[in-house]
Amino acid sequence: MTAIEDVSTEAGVDVVGHVPGEGDMWFFVVFESLVFTSYFCVYLYYRAQHEHAFLKAQSALNLPLGIVETILLLTSSWAIARCVQEVRAARYRSAQRFVLATVGLGVAFLGCKLAEWVRLIGEGHTFTSSEFMQHFFFLTGMHAIHLLIGFVVLGVILYQLAPQRRSHQTIETCSTYWHTVDLFWVLIFALLYIVR
Amino acid sequence: MSIGASLRTDPKRELWFVWYSTVAFYSLYSVVFFVLTRTQPPGRPWLTPEQTVGWFADRHWGLLVGFALIFVLGGFSATSIALITYSIRRMSVSRAYAYSYLILYAIAAIPGFLFICVAMTVGAMRPERDPTLMHWLYDFGFLSFSGTMGVFLVGSLIWMAAILLDKNGVFPRWFGYLNLCNALTEVVIAPSWIFQRGVLAWNGVIAWWIDVAVFGMYTVVFIYLLRSLIQRDDLGTGPVPALPPGAAPRAHPLAKVLAG
Amino acid sequence: MDGSRVSRSGERAIFWTLPAVAVVWIAAFFLFPGFVPPMSPKASAAEVAAFYRDHLSRVRYSMILFNWFCVALIPILMLLVERMRGMAHRTPVLRYCVIGVAGAAPIAFLTSTVFWLIAAFRPERSPALTQMCNDLAWITFTCGVPFLIALCVFVAVAIAYDDQPRPVFPRWVARFNLVIAIALVPACFAGLTLDGPFAWNGFVSFWVKNVAIAVWIVVMAVVLRQAMDREPVVVGAAA
Repeated sequence: MTAIEDVSTEAGVDVVGHVPGEGDMWFFVVFESLVFTSYFCVYLYYRAQHEHAFLKAQSALNLPLGIVETILLLTSSWAIARCVQEVRAARYRSAQRFVLATVGLGVAFLGCKLAEWVRLIGEGHTFTSSEFMQHFFFLTGMHAIHLLIGFVVLGVILYQLAPQRRSHQTIETCSTYWHTVDLFWVLIFALLYIVR
Repeated sequence: MSIGASLRTDPKRELWFVWYSTVAFYSLYSVVFFVLTRTQPPGRPWLTPEQTVGWFADRHWGLLVGFALIFVLGGFSATSIALITYSIRRMSVSRAYAYSYLILYAIAAIPGFLFICVAMTVGAMRPERDPTLMHWLYDFGFLSFSGTMGVFLVGSLIWMAAILLDKNGVFPRWFGYLNLCNALTEVVIAPSWIFQRGVLAWNGVIAWWIDVAVFGMYTVVFIYLLRSLIQRDDLGTGPVPALPPGAAPRAHPLAKVLAG
Repeated sequence: MDGSRVSRSGERAIFWTLPAVAVVWIAAFFLFPGFVPPMSPKASAAEVAAFYRDHLSRVRYSMILFNWFCVALIPILMLLVERMRGMAHRTPVLRYCVIGVAGAAPIAFLTSTVFWLIAAFRPERSPALTQMCNDLAWITFTCGVPFLIALCVFVAVAIAYDDQPRPVFPRWVARFNLVIAIALVPACFAGLTLDGPFAWNGFVSFWVKNVAIAVWIVVMAVVLRQAMDREPVVVGAAA
C-alpha cells in the first residue's frame, strides 16, 4: 500500500484511511452494482418460473469459451492492478505496458464475445428466440457496453501517464472502474453459464 | 429590508424562478402521467386492438384533461434545461458543452412529451374510431415516449463529461458518474422497440420499473444539487464556493471521529 | 460582456425577413382550404376524405409553404434573445429558457404540417386513416402551443427582472405577453370537445389562438425594432 504522504496533498482524498481512487467512483460502483443485482434478481425470478425452458436454452452456451473469457478478464484485472503498483513506485514506462496489456486482454475478451454471439445467432439463438436468450443477450450486451466504456477509461489512464499529468488518484479511480467491469463479468458468468 | 424588497433585489432571483418552475413542472408532470392519465406505468404492449379501445375508454377524461394540462404547461420543461445549461456554463469547460446540452434537450421536448400528448388525445377524442387505428395510436404514444432515447443518452454523457472535466467544483464527481448510470437507462429501454412482452417490453420489469427507479432517483438528485449550486453560486466564473456567501463554516460530520 | 461590445452586424437583415415571412404565412393560411373556415372535428371520415380529394392541390402547396417556413421565425426570436443580453440580469438563464422553447415551437408546427401532407399524399387511402392523420394534424396544430405559452411567460419574467433606468423593453410588453399566454391556454383543451367554441374549429381555440399569435408577432416586431434602434445606449450588465 502506498504511503499516505504520497496522496494526502491531492484534493478530495481522505487524509485518514486510504481509499484507492476517488470515493465518488465507489459511489458509482455501488450504484451500478445495485442496478446489476436487480437485473440478476429479475433473471433468477423468471428462471425459477420456467426452469426447464431456461435449462434447455442454456445448453447452447459454450462453457469452455466462457471460462476462457473469464480468465482473460481476470488477467486484465491483474494487469491493471500491476499498473497501479508501478505508478505508485513511479515506474511509468512499466505502468504503460501494463495498461496496454489490459487493453489487449479486453480486446481479446470482446473478440471472444463477438465470436460467441455470432455463433449463437448462426445457430438460431437470437435476442428474441427464447426467454433465456433475451436475458443472456441483454446481460452480456450491457456488460459489453460497460467494457467499451472501460476502454475509454483505460484511455484516460494512458493519457494520465504522460509526464506533465500523472495524477495517481485519477489512475486509481480508473482502475477501480475496470475491476468493477471484471466483477460484473464474473457474476454474469456464474449466473448464466454455471448455475444450472 | 423586508422579505419582499430583498426578493425583488435578490441577484439570484432569476435562478430561483427557474428552479421553482422546474420543481413545479416535474411535480405536475408526475401527477398528470401517474394519476390523471394513468399512462405511467404504461399500458401493456400485448393488448389486442379491441382491448386498446377499452383502455382508451377507461381513461377517456383523464387522458383529455391531463394532457391538456401538459399542452398548457409543457413548455416550462425549458426551465430545467436552462438551469442545467447555466450550471454547465458555470463550469470551467468550453461553452460547447452547455450549448450542446441546450439544443439536445430543447428538441427532446417534441418526442419527449408532445407526441404522447397528441397521440393519446387523438385516441381519446373519437372513441368510435377503428380499433386497429386506436392500436396504432396506442403504440405511437408509448413507443415515442419511452423509445426516444438518443437525446437523453447523449445529453447525459455531455453533462457527465462536463462535470468530470470541470475544475470549478460545480457538482460533486459522483453526480458525474450518476449521469453515466442515467445514460445507460436509455440503452436499457432500447429493446422495448423489439419486445411486445417480457421484462424488456415498454412496461417490463427491467425496461420500465428499474429504469424509472434509476431515472427518478437521478431527477431528485439533480434538482437537489441545482438548488445547492444556486445557494453557493457567486455568479462569477471561477470555482464555486463550497458554502453560500455569508454562511459560517460547518465542521465536517466525521471530523470528531477522525480526530479522536 | 455587455450588450454594446457584441456585434450587431447583420441584424437588420434578419429583421427584414419578417415581413417576407409574414406574407408567405398569410398566403399559405388562406391557401389552405381548411382554415377559412376551419374544418369541423365532427366531420365524418367520408367527409374528411372528400375534403382532401376535392382540395388536394391547395392542401399540398399551402402545407409545403408552411413546412418550408415554419422555422423562419427562429432568427427573429434570436434577435429577441440578443436584446435580452442588454437586460439587467445576472445570469443567462432566462435567455436559455427562450432559446429552449424557440427550438421546440416551430417543430411542433412542422409536425402538424407533416400530418396534413401525409393525409393529402394518398387521397385514395381508407377514409378512417385519412381522418386519423387529419386529427393528428389538427390536434398538434391547435394544442401544440406549450412552447409559445412558456415563451410569453419567459419574456414577461425577463422584462419584469430588467431593473434598470432604461429597460430594454417597456413594462407594458411584459403584461402584453401574459395576456397572449392566457389567450393561448384555452386552445390546449381542444381535444375535449368536437364542437363549440373550444373545439379546434371553435372561436376560442382557432380564431383567438391564431389571432393572438399574429398579434404577438406584430407587436413584438415593433418593440424589437424600437429596442434595436435604441442600442448602443444599453447599460445592462448581462452575464
